[in-house]
Amino acid sequence: MILRRAQDRTAKIMGAIGRRAYYARDIARAVREPGTWMPETIRQMRTIGVESLPLSMIVAAFLGGVTAFQTRYQLFPGVQLSVVGLIARQSIVLELGPLLIALVLTGRIGARMTAEIGTMRVTEQIDALETLSFDPIAYLTLPRLLATLVMLPALTMIANATAIFSAWAVLVLATDVRTDDFLSGLRLAFTEFQVVYSMIKAVSFGGAIALVCSYEGYVTEAGAEGVGRSTALAVVIASVSILVLDAIVAAIFAPFIQA
Amino acid sequence: MKKRRDEVLVGLTLLFAVVVGLGGTIWVARGGLSSGYSMYARFPWGAGLKNGQAVLLAGVQVGFVDKVELVPDGTLAVTMHVNKEYQIPAGSMATVDANGIFGDQLIAITPQKGVTTYMAAGDTIKAGKGSPRTGELLTKGDSIATDIRALTGKFRSEYVEGGGLADTRQTIKDLTKLMAQMSTVVADQNKQLTITQQALRRTIASVDSAKVDSTVVNLRTASANLEKLSRSLDSTRTAVNDVITKVNSGPGTVGRFMNDPAVYARIDTLLLRLDSLTIDFTKNPRKFINLKIF
Repeated sequence: MILRRAQDRTAKIMGAIGRRAYYARDIARAVREPGTWMPETIRQMRTIGVESLPLSMIVAAFLGGVTAFQTRYQLFPGVQLSVVGLIARQSIVLELGPLLIALVLTGRIGARMTAEIGTMRVTEQIDALETLSFDPIAYLTLPRLLATLVMLPALTMIANATAIFSAWAVLVLATDVRTDDFLSGLRLAFTEFQVVYSMIKAVSFGGAIALVCSYEGYVTEAGAEGVGRSTALAVVIASVSILVLDAIVAAIFAPFIQA
Repeated sequence: MKKRRDEVLVGLTLLFAVVVGLGGTIWVARGGLSSGYSMYARFPWGAGLKNGQAVLLAGVQVGFVDKVELVPDGTLAVTMHVNKEYQIPAGSMATVDANGIFGDQLIAITPQKGVTTYMAAGDTIKAGKGSPRTGELLTKGDSIATDIRALTGKFRSEYVEGGGLADTRQTIKDLTKLMAQMSTVVADQNKQLTITQQALRRTIASVDSAKVDSTVVNLRTASANLEKLSRSLDSTRTAVNDVITKVNSGPGTVGRFMNDPAVYARIDTLLLRLDSLTIDFTKNPRKFINLKIF
């Protein structure tokens, strides 16, 4: 009985992995149809990137300010104040910037992606596309994936800069840390790879959001309820995937971060 | 139209992200957008030196550590970025010093006094002896602890075992006794002083002020009389002075008598004659007295 259940569970997991592998294969095949995905990609870049810019900057501004403020008040007397700049930069660029922007955008663009594709699935628009000899993956999934892969690093870059600027402003205006202290810490042990590391995370998180959310939308079943369920599931799976990827990227690249 | 606007917006956003990312990275990595020049130094020990750490010239930040490389001979080749507005005086020494107490490091450049020439960009600054390492500090601390231990042993043998402590205790006891005696003396003296003060107050109270007043008036009168007497004496002295002056000037009888030697000679002659007359009179009175009664 238990063996049977284990076999069923394993078969389910393998089946899920296999379906996603097929989906990935279909995405790779869809690259051959640039006439289908190219025009849609620009539109998705605007929806995913440009329209998410204000939200990303607001999140980043508060993230930087709070991180710097908390860091300052965690220091005990005797520690040089430049440490605040160092910790703020490392926290924002290496971890909080890419991670929080990805999590916030999972809610905004991931949910929207699943809901859009899922609704098209349950209203048989995807079937209609197939009938018209359109590759639905080239038209729906690939543009979203490409747009996310390009725009999430761009948003992360802007968010990192906003967060660091906000950290500086909060420290100088609300604490005893001076600009020289902050800049000194900001430059301490900085390597260009730290920015590259942040971008690696952003690209991997963007890929996770697009793949998970578009797949969950693509396989939506059972009407409006199914769309809701798929959306919720997509956000959860994408969020967990982002955290897992964060750990994997850190484990692989952390040794190269240090100056 | 909408497609065109989407393309422009996406392009602008991407361009903004690239400018912010690249500009920010270069700005942080290069220590600002201001230009500068590189200087070099070689240290035997870096003590955790990293790029971005401060470079100070006579305590003023003039740049930052740009690159730290471990050379195969075991030394560290450090590239420093110095801001263009600063110059490094010739003969300066670079040392790796601790910045604070939590392991942060900096490069301190100490200029030589009286030097007015400067090093050229790209020169290597001579390395000096940096701040001591933990091992050296521990060794120093250990030697201090050894000294303290020896001192404590000496103190014990000389002071505790040699009876110094007992002597000190006895001295303190004697001092306490002395202090008690002095307190008693002070109390007695205080008592006597109080009695004396009381007696003095009584004496002062018994003095008759009317008598004192009349005495003062008498004294004033005596003083006035003395003043008059003094004036009278002064006028007398003036008169006597005048007489003496006249006598000394010699025109009068007394003056001639006192000042003219001829008068003296004549008086002397007169006296001699009187003397011989007296002798003659004594010998022959009848010569001078011829008394006949009838």
